[in-house]
Amino acid sequence: MTRHTATLAGTWGRRLALLALLALPSVHAQQTREDLARQLPASDLSGAQAQRSARQFLAAPGFALARVADNPLAATATPVGEKVCIACHQLESEHFTHTVHALGLHAAAKADPAIPVCETCHGPGSAHAQDPAGKGLILGFTRSSATPLAQQTRTCLTCHEGGARDHWAGSIHQRNDLSCSDCHNPMATFSGEGLLAKRSINDTCAQCHNDVRMEFGRRSHMPLAEGQMSCVDCHNPHGSLTAPLLKTATVNETCYQCHAEKRGPFLFEHAPVRQNCLTCHTPHGSNQHALLVAPVPFLCQQCHSQLGHPNDLLTPQSLANGAHPDERLIGRACLTCHAQIHGSNAPSGPKFHE
Amino acid sequence: MPSQSFARAALPLAVLMVLSAGSRADSGSGVDMEFGNALLTRTGGANETPDARGMSWLRPGQRRSPGGHLYSCPLEPPTLQEISGWDVDARVQLGWIGTYGDDDNALWNRYVRWDSGLVLGLLELALRRPADGSYASVRASHLSSDDAFFEAAFGRAGSYAVQAFLRELPNATSDSAISIWNGVGSNELTLLPSLAPGASSSGQVAATAAGVAPQRLQVVRSKTGLGFDAYLTPRWTAYAKLSNEQRSGARPFGGAFFYNFLFPENAGALETLRPVEDSTLNFNGGLRFIGARWRMDFAYDGSFYRDAYRRFRFESPFALTPTRPGATSATIYQGQFALEPDNDYHNVRSSFTRRLPWNGELSVSAAAGRMSQDDGLIAPIDCSGTFGVDIDGSGVPSTTNRFLHNCSDWNTTASLSRDSADLRIDTYSLDSRVTLQPSSRLNLRGGVRFNREDYRNTYLAYNPLTGDYGYITENGAQASIQAGALGTWNPLTSPSVITRVRSLPLDRETHAADIGADWRLAERRTLGLSLTTQRNEPTHRERRRVVEDSAKLSFVDRSLDWLTLRASYTRLDQHGDRYVSNPYGSAYSTSLPGFVAPGGGVPAFTVDAMRKYDLADRREHKLDLMATVAPADDMTLSAGLRGDWNDYGALIGRQAYDRTGFHLQWEWQPSPLTHASVHYGADRARLRMANVADVVFGPDGSLGGPDYPLNARWWAYDKQRNRTAGATLDHRFGPVRVDAGWNLVDARGLTSYRFDSPVALAYFEDGLGGARSGSFPLMRYRVDSLTLGLSFALSPRFSLRVFDYYERGRVDDWHYLGLDTNRVIDHRVYSDGGPRGYTTNLIGVLLDVRL
Repeated sequence: MTRHTATLAGTWGRRLALLALLALPSVHAQQTREDLARQLPASDLSGAQAQRSARQFLAAPGFALARVADNPLAATATPVGEKVCIACHQLESEHFTHTVHALGLHAAAKADPAIPVCETCHGPGSAHAQDPAGKGLILGFTRSSATPLAQQTRTCLTCHEGGARDHWAGSIHQRNDLSCSDCHNPMATFSGEGLLAKRSINDTCAQCHNDVRMEFGRRSHMPLAEGQMSCVDCHNPHGSLTAPLLKTATVNETCYQCHAEKRGPFLFEHAPVRQNCLTCHTPHGSNQHALLVAPVPFLCQQCHSQLGHPNDLLTPQSLANGAHPDERLIGRACLTCHAQIHGSNAPSGPKFHE
Repeated sequence: MPSQSFARAALPLAVLMVLSAGSRADSGSGVDMEFGNALLTRTGGANETPDARGMSWLRPGQRRSPGGHLYSCPLEPPTLQEISGWDVDARVQLGWIGTYGDDDNALWNRYVRWDSGLVLGLLELALRRPADGSYASVRASHLSSDDAFFEAAFGRAGSYAVQAFLRELPNATSDSAISIWNGVGSNELTLLPSLAPGASSSGQVAATAAGVAPQRLQVVRSKTGLGFDAYLTPRWTAYAKLSNEQRSGARPFGGAFFYNFLFPENAGALETLRPVEDSTLNFNGGLRFIGARWRMDFAYDGSFYRDAYRRFRFESPFALTPTRPGATSATIYQGQFALEPDNDYHNVRSSFTRRLPWNGELSVSAAAGRMSQDDGLIAPIDCSGTFGVDIDGSGVPSTTNRFLHNCSDWNTTASLSRDSADLRIDTYSLDSRVTLQPSSRLNLRGGVRFNREDYRNTYLAYNPLTGDYGYITENGAQASIQAGALGTWNPLTSPSVITRVRSLPLDRETHAADIGADWRLAERRTLGLSLTTQRNEPTHRERRRVVEDSAKLSFVDRSLDWLTLRASYTRLDQHGDRYVSNPYGSAYSTSLPGFVAPGGGVPAFTVDAMRKYDLADRREHKLDLMATVAPADDMTLSAGLRGDWNDYGALIGRQAYDRTGFHLQWEWQPSPLTHASVHYGADRARLRMANVADVVFGPDGSLGGPDYPLNARWWAYDKQRNRTAGATLDHRFGPVRVDAGWNLVDARGLTSYRFDSPVALAYFEDGLGGARSGSFPLMRYRVDSLTLGLSFALSPRFSLRVFDYYERGRVDDWHYLGLDTNRVIDHRVYSDGGPRGYTTNLIGVLLDVRL
């Protein structure tokens, strides 16, 4: 064991022993919040602990600018340091310690004692420590918190601004008064990635969009129910330039991400296909083959009434077991002959036959 | 072999991971955000133990998110082992699964491949070094060689991240494919030896098909990816992702040898089985700057699609017979498709955002892209000798035997105006938006947007060997049945033929603007209004300008502790300039100098009253209500109600499309040890459309005219109704966890129709009974599934999970009625029998070990 590790182990051992005493449930059961607040240890913002640790690295750039969050509802509060928070919130700390946030903040705080841990997100803790029940004295991210939603998201964006969240302001989720903590719960590890509030991206989105999730149970669907794809493969819930929260500039570009063969350009193109894949397909799930919005040939006959064969009304008598079977109705119907309906690169393919 | 490729790819990836450094999924770009499989999502996955102590000692019960949903109970913190400064948490779930019943069914195997035998349910390995924030992780699952994933990441929190992955994703495309061809999966289908190309009867083909065993088809996506993102400084970050996806398999397709419905015992409609063998290389990378006032993002996306084959060939078994008495058809049987061309995609974009006073932001984003392909073209026809109709019996094309043609004039690329596609679409977009908060109670926003797609180059269908314009229709079958119906225009020999001679560039431009405001009526109550206008200007479409104007009113109320209510109403009006029924004239021979109108005039392209629904006038009303209720501290009730009504106001075409639905979900978390939920949802869709049959090939396209008489009108009405329901229960009795789940999906679709007279029908006799309406058989899809699992904590390190997953599917699709008994109907061959019902049972025994 190195001297550095031994020092840390000693520090943590003493701290844990102290906190174990403070955190005994039997003790809690007999104490009020005010009692707890009076027992809090003094803040340690001197950096002495960090200075005692051997400095082996610089703070990671992503955490180098982390500072105590602003809390307008506790303007006079001052930081108290993580160990003060843990004095009461030991269980929260046990869960939080295994998150990526904790990993980064703890490491950064070791390198630079000015970098806070809990107070990076929750704001300065002194007022809350003195009056734990005081509304708004600590930045909270739950339903019962007095922290305004705008302040909640502003706090998260202090570090997470830009990138995928570049268009959060004015996005549909922002306008619908969603907070980051509606989808994320950084206090524990619930998901493989992203510190989500639920086990997966799809579970998280389904909290509100359960109707959409149901569509993925239909006969043809994108493979979300099978766990092979997520809502965020197509949508950016943090805001985008393309409705409905699409990650690319158009619907078609979103589809081309996985269906690049449809991109072309083709020698002969089908105009509505280039216009928008959703002219014929529904994106989540359909009772028809291949996510179609209506059964063929009626899907095609909504637009095609050209002279010749496209505009005839076919009845069940034209099914394979009918009196006069007709290839315009059986199986893939129109697509049996117009098979390259997304576009043909054949010189003899203007009607997508080849 | 997918398993071999998986293994081959694993080694270099592992080496790369060791050498380089990490990336995490980015919701802003790209796919592959999360990896999973059906075992993890449907059967409960690995054993995860909630922390019986809950989230906090300070408050009882669970907290709620700002929107009112209960947070989950955290899992028990892992017991870490320290190894050389690294905290290590590792677990593996290994075991056996068995499938019983109709386990080869395509619906059951949709996006999953269950193989009875040993499986790696889940491997999770996490290493963390608290000293500097470094971490590494591995996550993997392997259900079968076609259904597996492996992902690994390492990095340092707040510094860099590297991610690598491998994934096999199966998709069953048929479980009942009967092939009369050899070579399924390749680009060359040759008829089974019992069939003679171009010389077999329907009976012979049916007999051959009856003797073929059904086979299962699938397409497997095998994807490998590597990415990183890194903080260069606290302000600048760089990121890049590279992936390569290969698809391999086959699926039902088509094949045209002219209309069998018009020419009984002649022609051919063939459902072939095409190969899917391609790869796509995707790259995404960029730089970001985030400062106190400015944010900037510079990015590049590249995507490169490569198909293993340029052409797909197949043989038709059927002989062709000309309609002209006394003549004979040339023996043609070779069909072909051009498969999707290799294509390249590049896109560069940048965005600049500046903070403004009043807590505002101004952002400007610009992008330019290019989609291009220059694939070598295939010849117009794939035959040797002659095609067409031999009227003098000589078998030699001549001025007197003018309906017989030399294949050599059309079966090489010398018969094309150029031998490669050389096509390109350039795209441009510019977006600017601003948000302001002049007071704590008011948010303002607005934006403008411009998009443009420019097609570069067009294709002219011209044969320098013959001087003909146009193309050979349906693999030469039409010309071999209808003497002279070659499909080409020639100023000397066929000056009145109407045929397609050019590609159609679909350039378009879009301008959009929006403005909106949100008023905070109270601390937790907001009213919003958004106004949007969008002008689309397509070319070579029925309208040159289509305008969408919309207004949306929204309301959010969180003022009551127990209720979150979100409501919105949108009204949209789509309108445009004059609708032109035939904007495609320039692509047809009618536009060529020397074209001579046929005697009866140029036939109408379509009925004037047709309004294609993507361009038609449309009025939409949309309503959304969403409520989250907390009936008790440990419960959440979510409800949604929605409606979307679209009126197209078209005489011919889509007339209405309405969708309504609601859903309810109840969740109960009385303790960390118990979780239960129930959900129910129902929705329906109504689509109304109209069309009109033509009775003569004339120049009058008016509805009610001689070509499209009023009594030839018909209407279709498609009704879809869906119900979903489900319930879950998860409870721990000491060391034993019991979980159960039930799910139901029940969908029904009914397509009915009515018509003015039998003239509207494809078969006049169908209307002679007096009835003027009817319907197709019900389309149904119903899946019931039940899961029951037991997990036993054998020791702190070992737990055992036993589960049973039962699923029953029922499907009726009228498109495939009758194909269960006969796949060959006259000169039609159907390889796929359509979706089938199934009853399957999956059982598993999995040992969960914390290493």
